[in-house]
Amino acid sequence: MSRHLCVWLVRHPSLHGHHQCHTPPFSLQFAQTHLNTSLGVFRQNRNHILHRLLNKNWSRRYYHQEISMLWKHKALQKYMQDLNKEYQTLDRCLQHISVNQGDQRSLNRRHAELAPLVTIYEEIQEAEQAIEELESMCKSLNKQDEKQLQELALEERQTIAQKINMLYSELFQSLVPKEKYDKNDVILEVTSGRTTGGDICQQFTREIFDMYQNYSSYKHWKFELLNYTPADYGGLHHAAARISGDSVYKHLKYEGGIHRVQRIPEVGLSSRMQRIHTGTMSVIVLPQPDEVDVRVDPKDLRIDTFRAKGAGGQHVNTTDSAVRLVHVPTGLVVECQQERSQIKNKEIALRVLRARLYQQTIEKDKCQQQSVRKLQVGTRAQSERIRTYNFTQDRVTDHRIAYEVRDIKEFLCGEKCLDQLIQRLLQSADEEAIIEFLDENLKSAK
Amino acid sequence: MECWGRMLRAFLSGPGRRGATWGSAYSSWQPHRPVPGLLNATELVSHWTAIFEKEGIPEAQESSEYIVAHVLGAKTFQSLRPVLWTQPLTPWQLQCIQELSSCRLQRMPVQYILGEWDFQGLSLKMAPPVFIPRPETEELVEWVLEEVAPRPHAVGAQGGPLILEVGCGSGAISLSLLNQLPQSRVIAVDKGEASICLTRENAQRLRLQDRIWIVPLDVTSEGSWAHLLSWGPMDLVVSNPPYVFHQDMEQLAPEILSYEDPAALDGGEKGMDIITHILALAPRLLKDSGSIFLEVDPRHPELVGGWLQSRPDLSLHLVAVRKDFCGRPRFLHIRRSGPQRGCPVHAWPGPQPARVPG
Repeated sequence: MSRHLCVWLVRHPSLHGHHQCHTPPFSLQFAQTHLNTSLGVFRQNRNHILHRLLNKNWSRRYYHQEISMLWKHKALQKYMQDLNKEYQTLDRCLQHISVNQGDQRSLNRRHAELAPLVTIYEEIQEAEQAIEELESMCKSLNKQDEKQLQELALEERQTIAQKINMLYSELFQSLVPKEKYDKNDVILEVTSGRTTGGDICQQFTREIFDMYQNYSSYKHWKFELLNYTPADYGGLHHAAARISGDSVYKHLKYEGGIHRVQRIPEVGLSSRMQRIHTGTMSVIVLPQPDEVDVRVDPKDLRIDTFRAKGAGGQHVNTTDSAVRLVHVPTGLVVECQQERSQIKNKEIALRVLRARLYQQTIEKDKCQQQSVRKLQVGTRAQSERIRTYNFTQDRVTDHRIAYEVRDIKEFLCGEKCLDQLIQRLLQSADEEAIIEFLDENLKSAK
Repeated sequence: MECWGRMLRAFLSGPGRRGATWGSAYSSWQPHRPVPGLLNATELVSHWTAIFEKEGIPEAQESSEYIVAHVLGAKTFQSLRPVLWTQPLTPWQLQCIQELSSCRLQRMPVQYILGEWDFQGLSLKMAPPVFIPRPETEELVEWVLEEVAPRPHAVGAQGGPLILEVGCGSGAISLSLLNQLPQSRVIAVDKGEASICLTRENAQRLRLQDRIWIVPLDVTSEGSWAHLLSWGPMDLVVSNPPYVFHQDMEQLAPEILSYEDPAALDGGEKGMDIITHILALAPRLLKDSGSIFLEVDPRHPELVGGWLQSRPDLSLHLVAVRKDFCGRPRFLHIRRSGPQRGCPVHAWPGPQPARVPG
């Protein structure tokens, strides 16, 4: 109950230090800074706030609360006011028939973009007004000492405050740009690392690949094997699969990176000595483009297939239908011998090539953004160690969000356990996105 | 050759016989070498690869991989469920692999050993001596699809192009065109009885039998094609005709010489015999500006060009030459130009309205 009182108290610094109020220490500090509404002071303490926000010991309730405090800052208010003004201007502008075709289209688009934001903004303003009225009513009630009404009013205020929190998150969801490729299908590639500890890397690679295969069926996605190259003794050297379905990239994008394993190998000298070895494997997740996204000029492709001496064709009997595609401008090479039909192998190889080229295009996009986020996608992330699977201690740790899971066996089944971790990753990514957005926009707003 | 003899008898005795008869066709052929304590798929592949290599069998590793994968129920070794690579095989599986590998040691083509092969993603039954589709021919089908797809074909009551395939063999070209052009109809002809049966069987396996007419026909015999006119003018003629130069025949590998029908390969002195017959009869069967697509020997584009020039009466001209994936000129697109001669009065047999001539 006291949280919402705190919100109110912050707005009314005159009531600061009221005995009934149980204020957590941070909000006192914030209240101090809030008194001074100059942008400079806010920005000095912004890092402090952001630091607090990133501190994962907090629950989401506090997080929402902090956001609402940030919201109340003038700079952000001003930003929303500007957007609102722009919207109203567009509204008036579009009434005029004299606006020419080309302009009209882009104006319409911008108008449509702003509409939902403005709606939420107006709702928030209405809700805040309601709270103000309740608060003044509360004050008057206090004087008359009508406990029951006061309690009712407090409850009402609580409800409205919660509604405001929801509206804030909605607003931020709308303000922060969406991940461009979230809806895409993916190509998932796994590659075993090297180790001196027997074959733990290869075994581990197979277990991880199986885990993602199970996860795909758990999520009702389609899992299509593109390549499977085993190692000796039942391990996996590298493999690739195409996973298609609903928002596959959104869920799997943070799985890319180096996964580390710590266990006692099952075969070899080390197993007898019961020594723990460390190994790694890498996961690459490539969003799959639609046909139009990546244009591959056939002239840029060199196709290597079985090449008979002499005339070929009817002169030769062959079952070698393996295909190797080389994209000459970038030097990318893709091989496939999954099918008996050569043309099918070529199709599959081309699909993988397009996905890799697409990935390169995405890299270029991402490189332009200077991001300090913990959760990254792309080639920078590929070489980062993201997760450790410790078999001797039966524990999986994701290093980016310091999240620990017990029961590796359950985790490797690739069902609810993995899904929970992925949901947590997505949550964290959202939070980071919002903070980054605020960062950028408060910087630019003068 | 003992294995081949037994197999050939088994296959020739029942032209319409379906199913994998390899289990019953081979009795107790003595194993080439005792197989001591070998257990799993990967080891078996290594074992037989070594044997094939020692005996000079070409594509040793591919052959043994396909045989083992087939016995384990997969099309390719790569696509086999990984767990099966290291699982021990049953004695029955081992015996099957033994028997199939023995046939390979007799230079039987893998496609005949397995009794099936893929073409343009379709699985087709294969049986000696019917010609085995080559990977190059998949490109021929791709080209036809590229040329046909953008152009609408509104013909009488039905949509879709009417295609004639000369020398259908196992039905590879016809069936892959039917599969990818849902509105098309095909007349497939071949002079070999075995080809007619196999194409029919494959059409039924793929449930395409309603749109294909399979007709025994030798295009080189005088006037035999005349009754094709009753089907109406065609949009396309497609063929992978026998195009091997006669003098090159004896240099072909044992896989081909001992098992495939030489009539499906031998094109005469310059490999042009059947090609010229097809080109001579096409104008009578094709619509105005209809097309002919051929697969040929890399030496033929020039020869065909020259021959067409010597026959202006045919109103055919060479539109394009396309290379295969090894960079050899392999495919020809020839177009007919000029008015259609001798329009037939009625169209596709069956419960369709008569086509108005003109």
